[in-house]
Amino acid sequence: MNNPLRDPQDRRLPRIPEPCALVIFGVTGDLSRKKLIPALYDLANRGLLPPGFVVLGFARRDWGDEDFASLARKAAQAHARTPWRDEVWDRLGENIKFVPGSFDDDEAFDRLAETLDELRATHGIEGNAAFYLSIPPSAFPVVLKQLERTGMSDNQKSGGWRRVVVEKPFGNDLPSAKQLNDLVDHAFTPEDVFRIDHYLGKETVQNILALRFANTLFEPVWNSLYVDHVQITMAEDVGIGTRAAFYDKVGTTRDVVQNHLMQLLALVTMEEPTGFSATEIRTEKLKVMRAIKLPGDISRDTVRGQYQAGWVAGERVPGYLDEPGVPPDSTTETYVALTLGVQNRRWARVPFYIRAGKRLPRRVTEIAVLFKRAPHLPFAPSDVEMLGANQLVIRVQPDEGVTLKFGSKVPGTTMEVRDITMDVQYGEAFTETSPEAYERLILDVLLGDKTLFPDAEEVEAGWRVVDPLEEAWAGTRPEPYRAGEWGPRAADAMLARTGRAWRRA
Amino acid sequence: MIGLWDTTGSAVVKALAAERRTAGGVTSGLALTLIVVTEEAEVRAAEAAATVAAAAHPCRLLIVVRDEVTHPRSRLDAEVVVGGRLGPCEAVVTRMRGRLALHAESVVMPLLAPDVPVVTWWRCGPPDRIAYDPLGVVAERRITDTMQCDDPLEALRVRADDYAPGDTDLAWTRITPWRTLVASVFDASHSLPTKITIEAPPKDPSALLMGGWLTARLGVTPEMRPVSGNRMHGVAMQMTDGGTVTIRRDDGRVVVQRTGLPDRTLPLTDRSLGEDLAEELRRLDADQTYAAALAKATGRDGFQDRAPIRVHVWHDPALAERPDTADDAGRDTGPSGETAMVSVSGAADVAKVPDTADVARPAGPGVADGDIEAAGDTRAPGGEPAK
Repeated sequence: MNNPLRDPQDRRLPRIPEPCALVIFGVTGDLSRKKLIPALYDLANRGLLPPGFVVLGFARRDWGDEDFASLARKAAQAHARTPWRDEVWDRLGENIKFVPGSFDDDEAFDRLAETLDELRATHGIEGNAAFYLSIPPSAFPVVLKQLERTGMSDNQKSGGWRRVVVEKPFGNDLPSAKQLNDLVDHAFTPEDVFRIDHYLGKETVQNILALRFANTLFEPVWNSLYVDHVQITMAEDVGIGTRAAFYDKVGTTRDVVQNHLMQLLALVTMEEPTGFSATEIRTEKLKVMRAIKLPGDISRDTVRGQYQAGWVAGERVPGYLDEPGVPPDSTTETYVALTLGVQNRRWARVPFYIRAGKRLPRRVTEIAVLFKRAPHLPFAPSDVEMLGANQLVIRVQPDEGVTLKFGSKVPGTTMEVRDITMDVQYGEAFTETSPEAYERLILDVLLGDKTLFPDAEEVEAGWRVVDPLEEAWAGTRPEPYRAGEWGPRAADAMLARTGRAWRRA
Repeated sequence: MIGLWDTTGSAVVKALAAERRTAGGVTSGLALTLIVVTEEAEVRAAEAAATVAAAAHPCRLLIVVRDEVTHPRSRLDAEVVVGGRLGPCEAVVTRMRGRLALHAESVVMPLLAPDVPVVTWWRCGPPDRIAYDPLGVVAERRITDTMQCDDPLEALRVRADDYAPGDTDLAWTRITPWRTLVASVFDASHSLPTKITIEAPPKDPSALLMGGWLTARLGVTPEMRPVSGNRMHGVAMQMTDGGTVTIRRDDGRVVVQRTGLPDRTLPLTDRSLGEDLAEELRRLDADQTYAAALAKATGRDGFQDRAPIRVHVWHDPALAERPDTADDAGRDTGPSGETAMVSVSGAADVAKVPDTADVARPAGPGVADGDIEAAGDTRAPGGEPAK
């Protein structure tokens, strides 16, 4: 029966999930404390959680419900986005439970299953539960086996929906990703698996589709006739911090290119979906991801880099090889620049330059579409010396927004033309202060909306791009660059060969 | 901030342009113009609410304070603030006294941001007919607040009689959290109510709208049970499966009781006026759900045939407030009764207003033909279009 009080016309009423439980594995970890629990508080504060909602924490700690609740309260208070209200937390805090145990402890999982079953009577939760695996991938098999063994992953047995949320990394290469996908899809059903790519939860990223498909202004020039090339940048000013053990095995390409940057590339290049449903969008994204073309000469058209000691934001920082936990002969890259192509009629011969790195001058993620110069300029050459190419830049973070760069007359008596930039910031130009990506994504998991979650095929398509690169790079050393610079010189040379240059992001 | 005393409309337009220039690139991308009509006593509350709403919706904020419409001398004071105490918006607070207050649109129209929707909010008792107020006629969305009226229930009926698509009332906005709760009951339930009781204070327009909404959606007309206090207290439902559901406010929280299920408590924090206003500004099209609820709540119908655009009707409150003015040195020889004088809807088309010489004449951005002259009164605005 449809809810008679819900009407698509009635857009004031927010969508609220059915009564359900959220089970967090690895609840004492960083992600849980900094993102998940604060996001839950923000959702509660905005009134978007159902009356029957329970958070179950699972971790290897000798804790009671109160210990966990007080940790959660501290985490929420420290990191919540919305103003703190004790009464909101009190209601949420009452419904926070903790189940202690290790992942190989059958008894602990039986207890978890019992606790979930009891919620039917105590909280009116008819078997609906989402399992958030905020744990290292090496622990996936054992946890998933436990969920299967106890029947907790089974929709039929539990009488409601059972969903699982997994975070990146989705494997280490194509075979391992497939293995992981099979494992998760087998324990649950493929429709119930939600892979979080938090980039897709960002307002600006969702807005790429609105910008492209809700306007008439941009789509006509969104092709190789007008676009000279596209630059996608994801720069971080931080180093690897304490993640050496993880990062040294992975490197920048696997860490961010395979997932975040591939998604951004897909959203910028995809054709118009026939509808705005999850499957329609996925169909188009997959099509274009399959059309991604690697350079013919990988050693020439890709650059790997590794930061050396230098100065970033007024501080002296050590080089990658001097970071604690990094082997002194590591050849892991902390910077990567790629030249990719998209093989279809729209994008034929348009290069896509993708770069990502750590210890770059500032933190910025942006997509810059650089247009061709006007075919004819009826001005004296000296008057247009300062005129560059038109640019449309979608800034993903920070200061989410769009800038448009075009030529304009310099005020004065001569006809000089130079570039000016028009800047729209979403924070102020669009309604509602942007919710955190995790708020949106957790809510979508509980509502069962899969639009913003990459599925197994998209993950595998990402690895199909990255794997051949990793193979070609095996045994090579990354180019050094000084911390606080925009990557190695070779990356500049890569663009200079075709007469182009990186935009200063 | 620029303060202008005893000034003209065109000086205000120039001051706004100057202030925007000096403030730098703070306001690119406007989503709407918000006109707030208020009285001196309510200015602080209106400003505070508008500041909260403007943080979520980038807008140009025009606060119009009308005062002493019967004062013999018209006067305009204005304060222009860009990115200052009124938050990230660009704001103009105007105070109008005397006959000018009845022609506020002559100051406001040139200040409207070009080609973005206009929303008018009355932080005071709204006019009996919105068409009486040219500031309501120029707006695509009109927000009233019947709780501001002496008799809110009667005021709601007046709103229903006057309803046009694009109107909403804050009495409706205030019950969104309640409606969310009641709707969530039916997410998990497979039975419908046979009887509904709403507990609310007797003069609560929100409860009346709640009843209208439930009637429209469920086909069951709720029974009203009066309780003391000043806010809606609870909703109780008898379900077809024999169970009952009650949702009751209890000191900053809400208790949901349902047969066969344990009681559940949820926080129900009162939203500030600013948050309510921000919700209103999220949608700039007509709220059909409100129209249906209002129709059922007041027993009026035919809302779907009403035109969303109103035509200004000349109405002089001075005549009603000071009936002897007409004889007072021949100053107010305004029309007796109502005459359709000005048809304004976005593009203003201003007709002659039969006022006497000491009255500011209206002039909007649409007055391109220049047939209006500011005769007699030096404070009559020049009618410069907003640039």
